[in-house]
Amino acid sequence: MRKKGISLSMACLERASPALKEILLKLYHANKSTEIDHHLYEFGSVEYHIQSSASDEHITYLSISTPLLTQEVLLPYGFSHRTKQMVTAICPDAVEIIEPAKEGYQLTLRLDFAKLPNGKDSLKVIAEISAVQARILSSRLKEILMNVNSQDSYQGMYKPIKLVYRPSEPFFIIIQPQKIIAVFPIHFTDKPDVIIATTFFQELMDVGSSEKWAKAPPCCWSPIPPPGLRGELFEDLSTTGGFVSFEISPRHVKGKKLDKTVWSLLNFYAYVKFHVKSTRSFIQRRMRKRLEGLVELLHKRNIKVEDEEEEKRRHKIQGFKCTIRIANLPKLSVLKRRYNGFSRTIKRIRSRIRIHGFGRFRHRWLKIPKFSSSMGYTKLE
Amino acid sequence: MANTLRLYLTCIRNTLDAAMCLQNFPCQEVERHNKPEVELKTSPELLLNPVLICRNEAEKCLIETSINSLRISLKVKQADELENILTKKFLRFLSMRAEAFQVLRRKPVQGYDISFLITNYHCEEMQKHKLIDFIIQFMEDIDKEISELKMSVNTRGRLVATEFLKQFI
Repeated sequence: MRKKGISLSMACLERASPALKEILLKLYHANKSTEIDHHLYEFGSVEYHIQSSASDEHITYLSISTPLLTQEVLLPYGFSHRTKQMVTAICPDAVEIIEPAKEGYQLTLRLDFAKLPNGKDSLKVIAEISAVQARILSSRLKEILMNVNSQDSYQGMYKPIKLVYRPSEPFFIIIQPQKIIAVFPIHFTDKPDVIIATTFFQELMDVGSSEKWAKAPPCCWSPIPPPGLRGELFEDLSTTGGFVSFEISPRHVKGKKLDKTVWSLLNFYAYVKFHVKSTRSFIQRRMRKRLEGLVELLHKRNIKVEDEEEEKRRHKIQGFKCTIRIANLPKLSVLKRRYNGFSRTIKRIRSRIRIHGFGRFRHRWLKIPKFSSSMGYTKLE
Repeated sequence: MANTLRLYLTCIRNTLDAAMCLQNFPCQEVERHNKPEVELKTSPELLLNPVLICRNEAEKCLIETSINSLRISLKVKQADELENILTKKFLRFLSMRAEAFQVLRRKPVQGYDISFLITNYHCEEMQKHKLIDFIIQFMEDIDKEISELKMSVNTRGRLVATEFLKQFI
């Protein structure tokens, strides 16, 4: 169960926008060309515009507007060359960047579904196109992290860089010689959330400091802002959950690890939030189960009490044995028994005194006619 | 069970056993009304001295008795912040569903975490010793549940932390 929960949490942090992916897949699988003009909004600040005309078969235009990861001003010609390269590299035949982008958007892509590779690869490409926004945002952090080892470019510059992946969840990157420190100010409005998150951070520190995880970036949690953040805005430094920092060294951004590290850092906030949410639901589930147990306990005791009372009542009645016995017998046998008793009494009345030889005399001279039933009849002779 | 806890629970059991001598008693102020005197406290002659049983500063039990009703208020130990929120959450959850228990009070007495109100009618419906058994069992279960919940939350945290760090390796 636990394993499943964790794997679910990992699945929740998908790069691709699920709504955009669904629309693109619908368009791809549609046999005839359809007219589509969709506007999608995500996280309050990301906007997608999907346009497809009936006349232009297989061609779809996707425009994206997204807040930037850093506070830097966007270049007049849009995103950096590297970012653009990364976008077109998804599938150079099918994805083309339109310049200039549509008004109000930072990037417009021309998607040619006819040129998509066949089979499962096409689904992969569509998933990657849906994750373009995440790619754009992560490219900036990638650029920063790639320079972790080159001291020349950042020599003497230790001013923290504020990055905003999700609105209202900023984090800071402090560049230091041979390492980069990522600092996450944690803010939760509810006190239980803060405590669950704090417990998680303590566990994270414990696990990170063990020998087994020596290769993982050292993690530190403190309720006060680290010295590197001195001079930052007060609103950014006033938190309820303290500050979590990770020390990223060159070995964490080598080769394929770079992408994973960037993704983990960008989604750390979402990861913590998901953990807090799932822990709360776990507590709720457990409490409900426990409530049932306690109520059952009380009712079981009640039922026991009732049973005992019933037993006592039975014991009390046991004094009148005949009544109980009669009450327990079926109707027919009761009648039979009564009849037998009655006949026995009559017999007793009839032969009160026993005289030897009187029986024979009575048979001969004192013969009493047989009783006939009221329902029957007597044959007339 | 720890020795101190057993002593604490035995003391509560004995006190409840002595205090739970309830009888039907109509209200002296309003005709044809029958109210738990321990709640209204209209006539001091119908009230007995309250008994406070403390295991330590954080764990205590207040037993207030009257002629027709008895009120038991419990304060559960909260060693740290996590235990504090778990206890509050759990006891609030139970209080919100008080109708399922019959004897549970919707709002605890001030300064306590949970309260029970037992009237003479409850004693007639459910036997006295069974009610006492239930209260003691309830106290034991709450303690056990809170420590188990705390452990589960910590274990979950550790597992999630391990999964997160795995991504860097």
